[in-house]
Amino acid sequence: MPTYKLPIGPQHPAIKEAFHFTFELDGEVVVDVKPRLGNVHRGIEKGMELRSWNQGTFLVERICGICNTPHTTCYALTVEELYGVEAPPRAQYIRTIINELNRIHSHLLWIGILGMELGFWSYFMYVWRDRERVMDVVEMITGNRVTTSAIIIGGVAYDIPPHMEGTIRRAMDFLEERTKFYKQVLENEPTIRARTENVGVLNKSRARDLCAVGPVARASDLKTDVRFDEPYCSYGEVPFNLITYPYCDVYARALVRADETLESIEIVRQCLDKMPSGPIKLRLPRAPPPGEAVNRVEAPRGELMHYCKSDGKEKPYRFKARTPTLANIPALCEMLKGYYIADIPAIIASIDPCYCCTERLLFVDINTGKKWVWTYDELKRYSLKWNEKNGGRRR
Amino acid sequence: MIEPLIAIFKIVVFPGLAFITLLGLVYEWIDRKAVARFQNRIGPLYAGPRGFLQPLADFLKLMAKEDIVPTWADKLLFNAVPLFAVTIPTLASLYIPITGYPVLPPFEGDLVLVVALTTFFTITAFIAGLASTNRFSTIGAERAALQLLGFEIPMFISVASAAMAAGSLSITVIAERQFLPFALLQPLGFAVYLIALQAELERVPFDIPEAESEIVAGWLTEFSGKKLAFLRLSADIRLVLGAALATAIFLGGGSGPVLPPIVWFLIKSIAIVIVSAMLRALFARLRIDQMVRGAWKYLLPLSMLQLLMTKILLLVVV
Repeated sequence: MPTYKLPIGPQHPAIKEAFHFTFELDGEVVVDVKPRLGNVHRGIEKGMELRSWNQGTFLVERICGICNTPHTTCYALTVEELYGVEAPPRAQYIRTIINELNRIHSHLLWIGILGMELGFWSYFMYVWRDRERVMDVVEMITGNRVTTSAIIIGGVAYDIPPHMEGTIRRAMDFLEERTKFYKQVLENEPTIRARTENVGVLNKSRARDLCAVGPVARASDLKTDVRFDEPYCSYGEVPFNLITYPYCDVYARALVRADETLESIEIVRQCLDKMPSGPIKLRLPRAPPPGEAVNRVEAPRGELMHYCKSDGKEKPYRFKARTPTLANIPALCEMLKGYYIADIPAIIASIDPCYCCTERLLFVDINTGKKWVWTYDELKRYSLKWNEKNGGRRR
Repeated sequence: MIEPLIAIFKIVVFPGLAFITLLGLVYEWIDRKAVARFQNRIGPLYAGPRGFLQPLADFLKLMAKEDIVPTWADKLLFNAVPLFAVTIPTLASLYIPITGYPVLPPFEGDLVLVVALTTFFTITAFIAGLASTNRFSTIGAERAALQLLGFEIPMFISVASAAMAAGSLSITVIAERQFLPFALLQPLGFAVYLIALQAELERVPFDIPEAESEIVAGWLTEFSGKKLAFLRLSADIRLVLGAALATAIFLGGGSGPVLPPIVWFLIKSIAIVIVSAMLRALFARLRIDQMVRGAWKYLLPLSMLQLLMTKILLLVVV
């Protein structure tokens, strides 16, 4: 039977952000998939070079709406490394709490999205209703629901005063109870299991070869978590479990995220118990000394990497971010092959994609399969040459 | 002189076309409100008291929207589909004894006509998908046809066992001959009918031909404006037809104490709509292969079992 192509995206109900996949199908079965990035490229890396180090905190936060805190944390840690300082211990604990609250909200959001992709609207509605509770806590601490601007270079912008502790603990108790219930639904609801078990299988060795990160890797039984491997903030001081599942399918990814939510709740409680007193931020000079630094942080979607280079001036010389979704795209393409059209939304959702973090300028020569990345200067030179050749007009 | 006028009034206004259309809009509102309550939402609220007029407002809004026909679509079929989609279920529902007696005179075998018309509807959906020449529509059409293979036969057999128990193939006679509702005597057949009804109405967990997150809107993708309004109306009328047929065949139609038949009929069919809404809120969508396999593995044997049990019961009792 001849295959045919099904375009999904940039506008499609299964994909909340602009992203394009071309599926090659044989009947209802996916034979091949070609992802295409580039619909929401915003030039943030260049934008960083035009702003001062401090302003960068607020731009870097906007790389991703949902996991904004890991971005600011990673950036702050990287710049602090350039300065050669560390944020005060209380600031580290507050950073941990805000990061974990972010993880709770991101994972609950994802569990709801899974329900929606499977056509289980009731699940989506209930999960998102209860997720409001964690948003309220974030709003109470930082004044904002999503883009918190809480983490700055040298510490945090907002303290957690003692009178907030009770509210946070009550919210955590509520969320723990609800998350346990939603995990139970995942485990016991036959239609959810029928749609997620043995779907989108990515076995352990393939996951390692394709450099999967975050919950996707952990659902394939790979023990990888930056919070464990290279503890930052105060993760070294609060014990928690690394969640892995051996099933390698969408169902395992759902369970990993449900269990991680429970672990995050536990981490928030421990941080509140152990929180030291003291200052929450450092006063730093306007520009770090020349040098370069790279740092890793575990975002809800996986390992996030930031690189900064300073030449001693007020603005970064170069900034580069490697986001978890980009790292998971090769694994995603592997997962999709051989499954039905009906499985596509669940599998795409299972890596918890965040395309606006992912956009890059990457060239692929279709004829030779060669890939390369151009710097701005090279691109400019090419465009000047092209214009000269073609008389400055498009064909 | 007056008799033909009354007949025309019956067909056009009450309990014919206008009444059934109105009922469709009301049932859509009940369905939406019920699903919203199950999902801890509020549901339609602004148009009319408690959002009662929301389905009508949606219909009128769609009627005013731009009507687009794709360049490569088969124009004749594409334009004809919305008309057929509304006409077929409306015609079928004229044979259902909503007021105790159907609008069109009943005859021995109208049950067969009505279930055959419900099958025709799925074929209309299939044609709609093919005529739109959109890849999502084509997949939706293919799924609609595949799904038909799954739910059609169990549905017919469950209806047939009711007909066998009543000893008639006329819906009106079946409704009249139930001294006890068949839902109690034939619980298996009733359950199979309700599940197959979800598939016929393309509702969760069997909204596979219109699966939003997979294939946009399935065979409906290319329809817009007036055509979409009519297809939405068609879905409402099919809801009325499905609920009314279940009421007539399994719940004893309009029979009941004190109140007039039409009130009993509406109460019973609204109960069916609410059960259907509950099923819609309770499950995730199945995959097409899972649906067809499940239908042949569970629904068909169960409906056959019901048929067998009915036959044995009849042999023992009569």
